[in-house]
Amino acid sequence: MASAQLTDEELFSQLKCFGYIPGPVTENTRPVYLKKLKKFREEQQQRAKGRVSGTSSSSTGAPRPVRHDVRRLSSGRRPGLKSSVLGFSSDESDAETPLRRKGLDHMKRPSRNPHLQQQLKIRTATPLNEANKKQYGVGTALKSNSFPSPDGQTNASLGWETGKRSMHDPESRDEDINDDEVQNSHPVNGRSAARLNTSKLAGEYSDSDEEEVGGHGGPERDRRSLELRRIYTSGPFASHVDGRSRIGGKNCALNPFGNRAMAGCREEDEERGKKGDLDASGGLRSHMLPRKPIYVSLGEDRHSKTGENNHVNSEEVASGSNIDLRPRYRAAYSPILNPQGGYSNHSPVQNHAYSPGTQKKKPTAPEDELLLQFKREEQPSSGSFSAHYLSMFLLTAACLFFLLLGLMYIRMRGSGSPVGDGVIKSHPFGSNFDSSYSKTEKDMILKLLLSLHDHLGIVAGHHDCGEEQYPSRSLSREQVTQYLLAQNGDFEDFIDVSLEWIIRAGQDVGIKLSGQRADDLVTDVSEISWLESTHPRMPFTCRFCRALLTVMNKVLVVAVVVGLVCSVVCYVKYRWRREEEETRQMYDMVERIIDVLRTHGEACQENRDLEPYLPIPHVRDSLVQPQDRRKMKKVWELAVKFLSANESRIRTETQQIKGADFMVWRWIQPPLSSDKSKMWQGKAFPLDRRNSPPNSLTPCLKIRNMFDPDMEVGDSWDLAIQEAILEKCSDNDGIVHISVDKNSKEGCVYVKCLSAEHSGKAFKALHGSWFDGKLVTVKYLRLDRYHQRFPQAQGCSVPLKASSLHQTPTPYPLQHGGPNSSGFS
Amino acid sequence: MSSTSQKHKEFVAEPMGEKPVMALAGIGEVLGGKLEEKGFDKAYVVLGQFLVLKKDEELFRDWLKDTCGANAKQQRDCFGCLKEWCDAFL
Repeated sequence: MASAQLTDEELFSQLKCFGYIPGPVTENTRPVYLKKLKKFREEQQQRAKGRVSGTSSSSTGAPRPVRHDVRRLSSGRRPGLKSSVLGFSSDESDAETPLRRKGLDHMKRPSRNPHLQQQLKIRTATPLNEANKKQYGVGTALKSNSFPSPDGQTNASLGWETGKRSMHDPESRDEDINDDEVQNSHPVNGRSAARLNTSKLAGEYSDSDEEEVGGHGGPERDRRSLELRRIYTSGPFASHVDGRSRIGGKNCALNPFGNRAMAGCREEDEERGKKGDLDASGGLRSHMLPRKPIYVSLGEDRHSKTGENNHVNSEEVASGSNIDLRPRYRAAYSPILNPQGGYSNHSPVQNHAYSPGTQKKKPTAPEDELLLQFKREEQPSSGSFSAHYLSMFLLTAACLFFLLLGLMYIRMRGSGSPVGDGVIKSHPFGSNFDSSYSKTEKDMILKLLLSLHDHLGIVAGHHDCGEEQYPSRSLSREQVTQYLLAQNGDFEDFIDVSLEWIIRAGQDVGIKLSGQRADDLVTDVSEISWLESTHPRMPFTCRFCRALLTVMNKVLVVAVVVGLVCSVVCYVKYRWRREEEETRQMYDMVERIIDVLRTHGEACQENRDLEPYLPIPHVRDSLVQPQDRRKMKKVWELAVKFLSANESRIRTETQQIKGADFMVWRWIQPPLSSDKSKMWQGKAFPLDRRNSPPNSLTPCLKIRNMFDPDMEVGDSWDLAIQEAILEKCSDNDGIVHISVDKNSKEGCVYVKCLSAEHSGKAFKALHGSWFDGKLVTVKYLRLDRYHQRFPQAQGCSVPLKASSLHQTPTPYPLQHGGPNSSGFS
Repeated sequence: MSSTSQKHKEFVAEPMGEKPVMALAGIGEVLGGKLEEKGFDKAYVVLGQFLVLKKDEELFRDWLKDTCGANAKQQRDCFGCLKEWCDAFL
């Protein structure tokens, strides 16, 4: 059987695909798990064939009864198929398809029904549900005529089985149905089209059902996805059944297909989504759900595409294009399912299986649409798509706004307030000025000053901007006079006056007067030689550039500082993390060294030939792989230091081994529990109703596992044992007879008590306790048997007491005041 | 009265220790012999198998059937016995 080819891992993963987490696959459990895998696969098929259990709950925890039901019922209905199932192998290659192809044609139909119905039940939300139901109603009417029995069951309320065994829908079945229905559809009328639809829908559902559960055996999946594709390609997507139906040959055939295909596509996704919700292995869920919104929006696309589809339909599309599209489809679909190998095996099979006639003409458009669906899937859905753009838009708007703001600011800064030739309202010269001159004179003076001011500003600005026109920033008095006269002839009279006023003005009016040399303060008009503006006016571009440069410089500085700080922080964090890592590694190494040394020490205990120490380099080389040695060097050093400083059980010394001096480690922890005295070490489990009898039955107890006769050394270990028992039951002074069976392999001790009650107490005290590393168990013995065995016990009636000295067991009987009891066996 | 057998009660009453596989409820001489041939000579080995199968009833029963040909009742008894033992002691 091909199942033998499965490795353990494959078996494990395949079982997991069915939503079942297996235990370890070992030699012993392998056959069991193989059987389980087979069972799962059988279920798939049978689920494909007949959904019969209508009562399965939606809990994922109840797959088993469902499975059984399905199996039982389907086995009843389909003996023929079962035989094919028995030949089931994990390698679902073509070997199976011929088997299936033999075409239990009649059997396939009923499977559609229940399957379809179930799926319809889920699709409560689809708008197409109505149409489907109507069609289905028709379909069932048609089908129920031919297939009596299964319908009854399926018409019952079908809960959605969430056992989620995907149907293994053999492709041959679908193919056959496709062929049948294609042929049937040629006489096209509403009913047969409907039937076509429903069966196709069923096929859809079955496909989708299979697909949902995801990555089951590769061939299965491939077949399924191929089927799906086939069905998709088998018809154009028509958004609605009505308008497009052109009566006539292939178009009619195509339309229903398309309708179904689209419906199926949409539903399939919803179904898949739902299945994803319900599936135990919810890994597919994240894949499935996001597709829903896409398909909702895709409906509209399909509307637009139908026009093309019909055009394309009318063309002859070679089947080759179908083949080409399929790999694309697969590639797009692969995020959802993981197609495994064997995929390509089926495509030629598929192509042959296709009824070459009408199917071949199925256009590429549906596949295109499908591809679109899946491609779009990778993009954000429509909602978030616009959201993405919206955010970008907002961002650019904000940037633009700030830019404009900056420009405006710059412009404002740069320009003074160009007043022009209007009346100058305010001046800095004080009220004296106003009173000294008449209005016109005042205006002249002020205008003069203003123009002077502006001119000087321009000069200075241009100079600052580096234009060659103005080699110097300041203007000489002659130049000024020239300029002013050029402006206005009347200015001439007022030049001196203005200048005087400038001097008189205490504040800065925007013009700086300087004497022969720069920076000389002038107090008199006659001294003025140079005039300079203190508010240079620069051309716009210059201003802008300078502003920009300034801003950039500042930003750069800030960025550099921030960068430095960040880098420092990062570096510190990195170092810190490195150190932590090293410390952790060091501790790990220390642990391992200790383990090695301890085991070596213990080995030395047993085997006196070994040296009790281990050379350090040898330990290192045994613990650290050669390729890691260089990396771990530092860690190793730290570990060695740590051990020498902090570990008390290991002593570092120098020894000579084979003539060379080595630093060695010696394990000096003495072995624990060399103490020979036997001790009670606590209880293993609480005694409750389940592991102890409800009441004490007899006064006699048999205590097992108190000792191992082979291991006991010494003469009077049995007495020690008795002592121990008595000590343990020291509160219970009803023990009258103890007998240690020295030869028993099980380490048995027989105890007789005064009464059942006492024995019950003793039972509670002893049963389940650890003694000397062994788990002690107690059971009741029949009194007559006990007396048979120990006749001397019949006469015992005096309670035994433990001797006060526990460590050195006295060689004599422990009881006192008991002359009757004699001898211990 | 519980529906467990005497054997079951005995087995569940105490840690199994080195009990032979015949001490398991449902496993008699014949089945015990078959199990021993397969290497399951002590009850604890069967316990090990039970635990490796994650105490899953169906799997364990299948395994038991495959290994020694136990019928349904025997499987059931054995499983129940081991399960209860685990509940009490594990």
